[in-house]
Amino acid sequence: MKKLTIIFFSLLVLVASVPSHAASVFEGKTITIVVGYKPGGGYDRYARLIAKHLPKYIPGSPAVIIQNMPGASSVIAANHLFNVAKPDGLTFGTFNNATVIAQLIKVEGVKFDLAKFLWLGSAASDAVVLTVRSDVPYKSAEDLRKAKQFVIGTTGPGSSTHDFPALLKEYAGFDFKLVPGYSSSADVMLAIERKEVDGRAGSYDSIKPFMDRGLVRPILRNRTSAPGIEKLPVDENLATSQKGKIVMAVNAVPTQIYRPFVAPPATPKDVMKVLRDAFANALKDKELLAEAEKGKMTIDYTSSEDALKVVAEVLAQPPDIVQELAKHIKFGD
Amino acid sequence: MLDTFIQGLFVVLEWQTFLVMLVGIFLGFWVGLLPGLGGTTTLALMLPFIYKMTPVEAFAFLLGMHSVVSTTGDITSVLFGIPGEGTTAATILDGHAMAKKGEAGRALGAALMSSLIGALIGAFALALSIPIVRPLVLTFGAPELFMLAVVGIAFISSLSGEGGRALLRGVLAGLLGLLFALVGQDPQAGVQRFTFGQLYLWGGLDLVPVLVGLFAIPEIVDLAVRGTSIAGELPPENLGKGVWVGVKDTFVHLGLTVRCSLVGTFIGIMPGLGGGVAQWIAYGHAVQSARDSEERTGFGKGDVRGVLGPGAANNSKEGGSLIPTIAFGVPGSSSMAILLGAFFLQGISPGPDMLDKHLVLTFSMVWTMVVANIITVAVSLLFLNYLAKLTLIRGSVLIPFILFFSFIGAYTSNNHLGDLAVLLAFGFFGYLMIRCGWPRAPLVLGFVLGRIAENNFYISTIRYGSAWVGRPLVLVLIALTVIVLFFPLIRSKWQESTKGETQ
Repeated sequence: MKKLTIIFFSLLVLVASVPSHAASVFEGKTITIVVGYKPGGGYDRYARLIAKHLPKYIPGSPAVIIQNMPGASSVIAANHLFNVAKPDGLTFGTFNNATVIAQLIKVEGVKFDLAKFLWLGSAASDAVVLTVRSDVPYKSAEDLRKAKQFVIGTTGPGSSTHDFPALLKEYAGFDFKLVPGYSSSADVMLAIERKEVDGRAGSYDSIKPFMDRGLVRPILRNRTSAPGIEKLPVDENLATSQKGKIVMAVNAVPTQIYRPFVAPPATPKDVMKVLRDAFANALKDKELLAEAEKGKMTIDYTSSEDALKVVAEVLAQPPDIVQELAKHIKFGD
Repeated sequence: MLDTFIQGLFVVLEWQTFLVMLVGIFLGFWVGLLPGLGGTTTLALMLPFIYKMTPVEAFAFLLGMHSVVSTTGDITSVLFGIPGEGTTAATILDGHAMAKKGEAGRALGAALMSSLIGALIGAFALALSIPIVRPLVLTFGAPELFMLAVVGIAFISSLSGEGGRALLRGVLAGLLGLLFALVGQDPQAGVQRFTFGQLYLWGGLDLVPVLVGLFAIPEIVDLAVRGTSIAGELPPENLGKGVWVGVKDTFVHLGLTVRCSLVGTFIGIMPGLGGGVAQWIAYGHAVQSARDSEERTGFGKGDVRGVLGPGAANNSKEGGSLIPTIAFGVPGSSSMAILLGAFFLQGISPGPDMLDKHLVLTFSMVWTMVVANIITVAVSLLFLNYLAKLTLIRGSVLIPFILFFSFIGAYTSNNHLGDLAVLLAFGFFGYLMIRCGWPRAPLVLGFVLGRIAENNFYISTIRYGSAWVGRPLVLVLIALTVIVLFFPLIRSKWQESTKGETQ
């Protein structure tokens, strides 16, 4: 009987301690969001937006601060979160969505496994579109396929401005001449304006202002869609081989989890639940959405399960596809 | 147009706007002064505060802060030989040398006054260029940008000192700078160059730890070795009096100050040339103003013109770099990239609209830069005499602080231990260069221009083949390169002939 009582009470304590443990983890504490880039960029802006609204949804409303840890296109930050950061729920982070490709093609220096991170989810998705200057005669993907040596400006291998058209050239019969080396994607836009290049691929969010201005016209997109460009042809459907189709699909994955947020692998389950719920709720918060809207930041929540599923799908690719991918895709910003 | 221009001033002077601008100026003042805080980072950190502001208020706040950073950054560079900002390193060469001669007041006066003139010229260039800005920027394609970088590199000949041996050292230092610029992932093939398996080096060497290492560390060593104060054992009474002399110097060399301001503005306008370049070209140009070889050797040892040139250019380039940001939505520097974020937060798309629908806002930015700099310089002039006295503090007391700020300043660029390693490595290297009589300016010039030259050369060649060499503006720039390159030679020949005549 005494034994039973002890078991009963210890169970009671255990049950009772689940929520209160989580609360005591955060009460009067400070959560740090590690960002893989310097202040001011896209990742940083999302992290700061979330940092501002997250405390409302965490018991004990802890302070949330940002720690910028730039370098090696986020690999330094990802390595830190995986190996060094204390897994107590007070640290999580956000970094380059293409780290999944880095892991897949085994980039030197990668010391993390994205499938083992505990995901909070992704805050946004962002389509990649290929656009051409409005005064070129090509109106559709089929038109463009007929063009000879069509000049596309890029910021270099490893960015969607380069890899997206490079895959179209390799697997879909487009005759592109890629001109890499522009210092930023906005710089490529300027090159389009002065007619140094005729087209540019890249994040729909960043190209949209120039589309609205009438400088460029979208021709096709990747499998991630966004309001307003649903009807554009998708690159995978233009691929001339099955292999090409798969490579394009894999390359599109990072755009589905465009703003990933993950916690160190050993973070306790109950703490993770609090963080995940808070993350999901913060991204539904009216004030957050209003601010995002004003700052032209798309919010498009993906749950931790879905994000992990997408990552697992990429990492499960057979060696021949990985080899094929590594031939055409470099890892970078 | 003139109405709108004046309207722009009045919106800035409305009390709410003026108040937030004062707050911005106050922040910028300290950010510039303290080497650990960079203007770019602070700009990013201030973004959340503009949510509830009107566009005019938001930009008065941000630009008020940003446009005075280079002004007060010069103060730190002059007094302690640490770049207060990455953009104020060139002021050290002669500014700090003057401080060591007990002329801190004069150097500060000159730095501040030239900053003000630079800021005014940059701001008004922005206003005046509005009708022609689009064709102007669009004329400069990759081939022209490459040639601009080459013109910049050619200034090595002026920055190297007199004589064949000095020239050789200068050229070698410049090449070394170009080599340092290669570190990191290359943008053409995505290959890692000189990264030695270090993740830290993927992004290349950062300008701030390199500059702080090259310039601050040797000064600290020097100060420690001398065992005196920065101004040495000089009689202290001259120290503060120099401020007005420095202010007057600016007007004595007004032509130079204006030319360097224009150089700064122009470099600011060119997108992709970056914030660190203008000061060095301006310094090179200032050195060219030396009339004979005797004057030439005075540079680097405390010639006031070496303060005026970069002082003016690092302020005027701010007005210039706003131009591509406003007119095309293409930021000219990393701070402008953050400012671009501010435009979006305010629901404004930079582009042709800014020169038309939002013209009042554009002009309010011009006025913000003007008013903010006038206020800052006026306030600073009041305190300069006290600031100059800092150079009388004993070195052993000062060194811990300078060292602390140097380390913090370097560390904030990536928050990575690698920053400190780079700082120390370049510190050691900079010290060696001084001891062996090698010039550091050409190295920095090669370093800041290397990547620009490489990328634009690659783009030009892959896009146009060899045909780009024949473009008219490229030919003009080639001619300019030759002139810059042989300027020291031409000058000495000319001197010989004039000497011959007078004898």
